Amino acid sequence: MPFLFALGQRLLQLIPVLIGISVVSFLLVQLSPGDPIRLLLGDRATAEAVAQLREQYGFDRPLIVQYFSYVSNVLQGDLGRSIRYQLPVESLILDFLPPTLFLIGYVVAISVPTTVVLAIVSARCRDRWPDHLIRAAAILGMTIPVFWLALMMSRLFGVELGWFPVSGYGDGFVGHLHHLFLPAISTSTWLIPLLLRNLRAALINESESDYVTASRSKGLGEGYIFRRHVLVNSVLPTLNLLGVMIAFLIGSSVVVEIIYAVPGLGTLMVSAVLGRDYYVIQGLTLFYAIATVIVTLTIDILSAMIDPRVKL
Amino acid sequence: MIARPKARLLHVENLSIAFGSMPVVKNVSFALDEGEILGLVGESGSGKSITCRSLLGLLPRNASVGGKIGFEGRDLLGLSSEEMRTIRGRDISMVFQNPSSHLDPLMTLGGHVMEPLRHHFGQTSKEARQNAIDVLRSVQINEPERRVDAYPHELSGGMKQRGMIGSATASRPRLLLADEPTTALDVTVQARILELMRELNRSHGLSIVFVSHDLAVVAELCHRVVVMRHGEIVEEGPAREILRSPRHEYTKLLIDSQPSSLALPPIVRKHKAETPLIEVERLSITYSKPSVLPGIRKDAVCALQEASLTVEAGESLGIVGESGSGKSTIARAIMRLVEPSGGEIRFRGRNIATIRGAELAVYRRKVQMVFQNPFDSLNPRMRIVETIAEPMVRHGLATRAQALERARGLMRQVELPLELADRKPRQLSGGQCQRVGIARALALDPEVLIADEVTSALDVTIQAQILRLLQRLRSERHLTVIYISHDLSVVRKFCDRIAVFRAARLVELGSAEAVFERPQESYTRLLLESAPRFERTLELAGASDE
Amino acid sequence: MMSLPLASTRRQLEPGTFEIIAGTAIILAWVILALAAPLFSGADPNSIDLSGLLQPPSADHFFGTDHLGRDVFTRVLHAARIDVWMGIAGVMPPLLVGATIGLVSGYAGGATDAVMMRLVDITVAFPFFVLVIAIVGILGPGLFNYFVALALVGWVSYARLVRAEVLVLKNKEFVAAAQALGYPPSIIMARHVLPNTLSSLLVYATTDAVLVLLAGASLGFLGLGVQPPTPEWGAMIADGQPYVVDAWWICFFPGLAAMSLGFGFILTSDGLSRVLGR
Repeated sequence: MPFLFALGQRLLQLIPVLIGISVVSFLLVQLSPGDPIRLLLGDRATAEAVAQLREQYGFDRPLIVQYFSYVSNVLQGDLGRSIRYQLPVESLILDFLPPTLFLIGYVVAISVPTTVVLAIVSARCRDRWPDHLIRAAAILGMTIPVFWLALMMSRLFGVELGWFPVSGYGDGFVGHLHHLFLPAISTSTWLIPLLLRNLRAALINESESDYVTASRSKGLGEGYIFRRHVLVNSVLPTLNLLGVMIAFLIGSSVVVEIIYAVPGLGTLMVSAVLGRDYYVIQGLTLFYAIATVIVTLTIDILSAMIDPRVKL
Repeated sequence: MIARPKARLLHVENLSIAFGSMPVVKNVSFALDEGEILGLVGESGSGKSITCRSLLGLLPRNASVGGKIGFEGRDLLGLSSEEMRTIRGRDISMVFQNPSSHLDPLMTLGGHVMEPLRHHFGQTSKEARQNAIDVLRSVQINEPERRVDAYPHELSGGMKQRGMIGSATASRPRLLLADEPTTALDVTVQARILELMRELNRSHGLSIVFVSHDLAVVAELCHRVVVMRHGEIVEEGPAREILRSPRHEYTKLLIDSQPSSLALPPIVRKHKAETPLIEVERLSITYSKPSVLPGIRKDAVCALQEASLTVEAGESLGIVGESGSGKSTIARAIMRLVEPSGGEIRFRGRNIATIRGAELAVYRRKVQMVFQNPFDSLNPRMRIVETIAEPMVRHGLATRAQALERARGLMRQVELPLELADRKPRQLSGGQCQRVGIARALALDPEVLIADEVTSALDVTIQAQILRLLQRLRSERHLTVIYISHDLSVVRKFCDRIAVFRAARLVELGSAEAVFERPQESYTRLLLESAPRFERTLELAGASDE
Repeated sequence: MMSLPLASTRRQLEPGTFEIIAGTAIILAWVILALAAPLFSGADPNSIDLSGLLQPPSADHFFGTDHLGRDVFTRVLHAARIDVWMGIAGVMPPLLVGATIGLVSGYAGGATDAVMMRLVDITVAFPFFVLVIAIVGILGPGLFNYFVALALVGWVSYARLVRAEVLVLKNKEFVAAAQALGYPPSIIMARHVLPNTLSSLLVYATTDAVLVLLAGASLGFLGLGVQPPTPEWGAMIADGQPYVVDAWWICFFPGLAAMSLGFGFILTSDGLSRVLGR
């Protein structure tokens, strides 16, 4: 099975990346200026208590030994303990994960169809008014600060008009949909233009390619050529960008979550950074990185399935 | 079908095409009978491809077309785009130059052939697939049952072109438009594609409009020829009449520019040295792709296998072969642009792999190279005169001012107008760029000049000029030349000795005369037979005349 | 980008020129406003006026006043000193780091390239904003630390871009010609390879400026950027957040300012990519 073999090779290539990720997240705490033990025990702890805990945590051992014990802990699912919440980091992450996942799924569900429709309209009406309008809106969307838009929308639609709740996660699927509508829309406002510009350029580029002329020479209809040849060939670059953007979203949903008080990973991250809750920062960073790796891998597998030229 | 009296199939009258306010085709009229193959010949900018595309209404949106294109009693220019669509791919089909870009990379070969069948005849995918296999067989694709599911990137160039011909002829059109269909292909592949087209013409009575820059190919394939220049027809008539006794000056120029009829002044070589200048001994070169993890996916490509040859001072050695033969690799090895994996190259008895520093700089001055692609071989951001002057400055042979002055002298030597000195490469024509490349190589006053396919991207009349220039420089400067080409007729004209390469191996080496007249290897014979040569065509034509 | 078909004078311009002129004009206007902020508004951006809290926009206060009675217009102008600088200077560290790595990595190839590319793989695995927040969180808030974080994280895109260009250029015959003429690698990279990557670098950097600007404003919003009371658009929006229902203007105008500057960058970028023909 050549596909499985290629997949195996691809997974092997991930090993150095995973090692690198673990080193970076390990160093993140090591390099931090504060003393995590001090933070854990507070300023009034005695020197003996600090030394004792230091030994207990293994902070007196050489860096490389500490790294290996960190990796072995991580492999056993132990990401350390939150100083602020006094809970294991892994269970904190699991608690805060669902709203973020829901939000990202929501954003993708809004953005992808909208992007496809708008890009097709824009490309097919190239240099006519619908195209100009869509492109101008896209530039505007890219330049709006997401957190600002989120604030303005929460004031307008949430407070003024009262259509949507302005904070929280809600209950049940419909409740989530309702509560996360404004956050999802504000994020999409920024995501759609990026994807749109990419897909539009790809569509125009492909529709000027030689095989389109060749298809015309066979008497095939324009609609058919667009659907069967141009669109299929244009999807790949945009798919790759979508992968990058989902990874980006995992991180940039932070601000929107704060504004709408969504109890997601972003909220957790910011509170950890502000409270210098190092193990939460470390655990989250590691978690984000692995999530990104998985997203990228999925996109690569999808590309290989669509395009026979792409090898994993 | 074949025995039917000849009926007029296509009648083009006063065809004019303009892009915006720029006319590209002016008042062109010609006709094509059923079962006839018509050649449309011209150099770049002659409007031949535009004319061909206009027959199917495939011009870009900003083109305006006037005149009349009569096909089976209808004026194609008067048809709605809907009506035109029913003709395209059903009555008139087209084959393009570059099969790689004209096939959708995400569609199988079978898919391409099935498209017109399903579209024009409403065949089910099952019927169409069966028919596609038959079509692929008819265009001589081996194992059509397997190839029908192959994607374009899995096929060779020749195979892709057969597939495209298959896709164009699947619906049994009356007329096939072929726009430089063999230009990107190797000669042996070209010969088989031409044979295929001849076969389609003979067995199905398919009429063909064959667009080409190559007079020799047209001479071999076509019944009648239309010669175009600057958007106008300069001459038209039966192929062998035009080729044997051209009436128009331009046609004469085209014929005289053919390498085989090119007159190059003879070279008087100085006394023959006893030791060869360059010795290549058992040279092997392998390219290996770097792998991410050691031991995994080590693809090694063998580009050259144990090739041995010598180059005498003052001679001109021709290296011929098709793509992937290793002919360019050996040039790059002599230039020390690639590292040999085995064997060695000696210059005046010294292994070039071991020289360093100042000695290497001296070697670089002695051996220089001119490249294939005129636009690619010049830094687009540097002015012409800078490009030529730079080597002298870097080698410390002149101050900047002196170098710029000498560069102008070199421009004169390669017959470049001095007003081009401050231009950028993009503002020059292909032939001019190639002259800049030659001037740059001469800037260091080399003994050996390696010319790698230097004329393959140029029009034939420009090629003739460049060849004359090279010949002149060769005799003036007593240059030793290594001339690499896929074009046998050029090599024969230009070279004293010839080395034939195939699939990374040297297969034959001998004097030009010996290789051409008494080839020892079957591959050399195949190459010679495949290469279109129009004196031979004329001889054959003359013989069948009586 | 938004050229109207009716505007006949614009027709004579090369496509993209109009965008470049308009975009650069917007950026320049902000640079001038930032430099000359005291001239446009004499008030001290940090002067607190407890008698005039949360005043709506008026002739005295064009953009109203905030919860401490500070003039929002004055603060928006003074904040431009931070934000315009952030957008323009913020792209420089990642650009320099990334372009150098990409150039060397692409030209050298082999083991150097393999190591560099693994480094890229590792860095892209961390979502941009997360890593920036984490680094700023550890180094402490502030503009300088933001630039450090940008250099550590943002170089990746530039390295990839330049490397891809270099790989294409490396196979061009003029580079082979330079090698055949015996030029040293440093000269080939500096004179023949690098100049041919500049146009795509420029196009990307102008787009990246928007990202840097908006991410920086987001940090300011989260309290991880420039520290109060120094005015900064993101931080001003954060200040206004509790009052957004009653005093919308505190948040509204800084956001509008950021948007208009970003618009200038993107317009320039689009124009450049058209003129330089991507």
